[in-house]
Amino acid sequence: MVARTLLSRIRPLAARARLFSRTYHSYDHPPPPGPFSSTESSILSASLPHIPSHGFTLTSLSLGAKDAGYIDASTNLFPQGPFALVRYHLMTQRLGLAEKTDSLETAEGAKPMGTGAKVKKLTWERLMGNKEVVHRWQEALALMAQPSNVPTSLKELAALSDEIWFLSGDTSVDTSWYTKRASLSTIYAATELFMTTDKSPDYADTREFLDRRFRDVQIVGGAMGSVGQWVGFTASAGLNVLRSKGVRI
Amino acid sequence: MALCSSARRSAILATHLPTYDFLLPCLLPRITHQNRHLSRSRRLYSAENDGAFANTSAKPLRAPKSAPEAASNPVPRNKPLTQAQRDFLASALRVNQAGELAACLIYAAQTPVVVVAHPHLRPLMKHMYDQEAGHFSTFNKLIAKHRVRPTAMYPVWKVAASALGWGTAIMGREAAMACTEAVETEIGTHYNDQVRWLLDMAEQMERSGEELGDDLKELIITVRRIRDEELEHLDHAVENDAQKAVPHELLTSFIRAGCRGAIWVSERV
Repeated sequence: MVARTLLSRIRPLAARARLFSRTYHSYDHPPPPGPFSSTESSILSASLPHIPSHGFTLTSLSLGAKDAGYIDASTNLFPQGPFALVRYHLMTQRLGLAEKTDSLETAEGAKPMGTGAKVKKLTWERLMGNKEVVHRWQEALALMAQPSNVPTSLKELAALSDEIWFLSGDTSVDTSWYTKRASLSTIYAATELFMTTDKSPDYADTREFLDRRFRDVQIVGGAMGSVGQWVGFTASAGLNVLRSKGVRI
Repeated sequence: MALCSSARRSAILATHLPTYDFLLPCLLPRITHQNRHLSRSRRLYSAENDGAFANTSAKPLRAPKSAPEAASNPVPRNKPLTQAQRDFLASALRVNQAGELAACLIYAAQTPVVVVAHPHLRPLMKHMYDQEAGHFSTFNKLIAKHRVRPTAMYPVWKVAASALGWGTAIMGREAAMACTEAVETEIGTHYNDQVRWLLDMAEQMERSGEELGDDLKELIITVRRIRDEELEHLDHAVENDAQKAVPHELLTSFIRAGCRGAIWVSERV
């Protein structure tokens, strides 16, 4: 009885955990269909050029529907309203990163970029993907922060940091898998917010902000790593000393 | 009647896909498993024996399709894997990685304690550890390649596995071997279930005219090979007096329950 109530409590937790989990990525089979049908995608992609002037609003959506050859009322396809536009922007920008990996290749003979440098570069590329809409980005952030949209937004953020680490060629599959994605998500979200108020040419201030955040994480991560190494070394050395004294442990 | 139809089924399957030769342990899982327990066949631990083992297990029943045969059935367009299939594959890879991590740590913690008291076990412990380390790196690579999330309980399993290995080693050689016996029995069953599921999936895809893909074919072969190696460890443990551990029944059932719990958790979190 107790076990059953416990189980029923755990199950929703597990379902929620699945939200953030990546499932098996197949190389022999095409990826599963995305959240938008082809009609929806055509309307959404036609709406994107209207965002700089009309923002993440229903106006942009209906203008996009008109451009794509559908009637205004077809915006009813999107029960989430303008959030669909935000989501589509996030998704296309994330998937577009894969095409920007060419910039990670260095010239022949030169030293290849490290994983850290690649992550930095891709994060910057992704931030520059917001360049066209950055003056409207606070609207998008407001939409993303609405309670009903928060799960999707967080999932998208997690997917973005996973994509960046994957494209950078990171293959760690231990606890650092989590810490890496968590720290990159925090850095990205903070920098994205900073960028909305940045008026400097070529977003130089944003660049510096991003570099500072990466440096902070490196310092903290390095310190944690050193502490862990010291504890591990001391423990195994102590164990070996005891063993050398003949203690059967 | 049932036996007849299942035999016919396996015969049909064997002619379709070369990988089906290892469907046999799936059709008769209990029997083969019991045999392993009952038969005290002294499989000597030697490199020669290992080679023979690998040879027989790698040999397919039937050669792959000939060229004209393949040409008459053009490769159909692939469909995306279903959500259930992807979820299964992800949780299978995740739980396998966690299991191999635990196995590595158990052997690593047992080895120094056991070897001090029984130096003749050094090559056996090293052999088992090396195989587990190989499995662990195989699954690490697969997880990274297929972008599966590793288990969130990673640090917990690290501590638990080291404590289990060290604790049983302190209790003596028999207890350490009983631990191996319990763990490998659970893992062998678990891998068998996975192979069965994968073969069902392969059969379904074959029937609907889909291509399984090289990655999945290789995965089936890998899981089968690893299962055989794990069951070989089980034999080694039994040969080394695992069943003479003092509260044998208590110890093994406790460890097996722990393993099942850990598998249940790792499949989900």
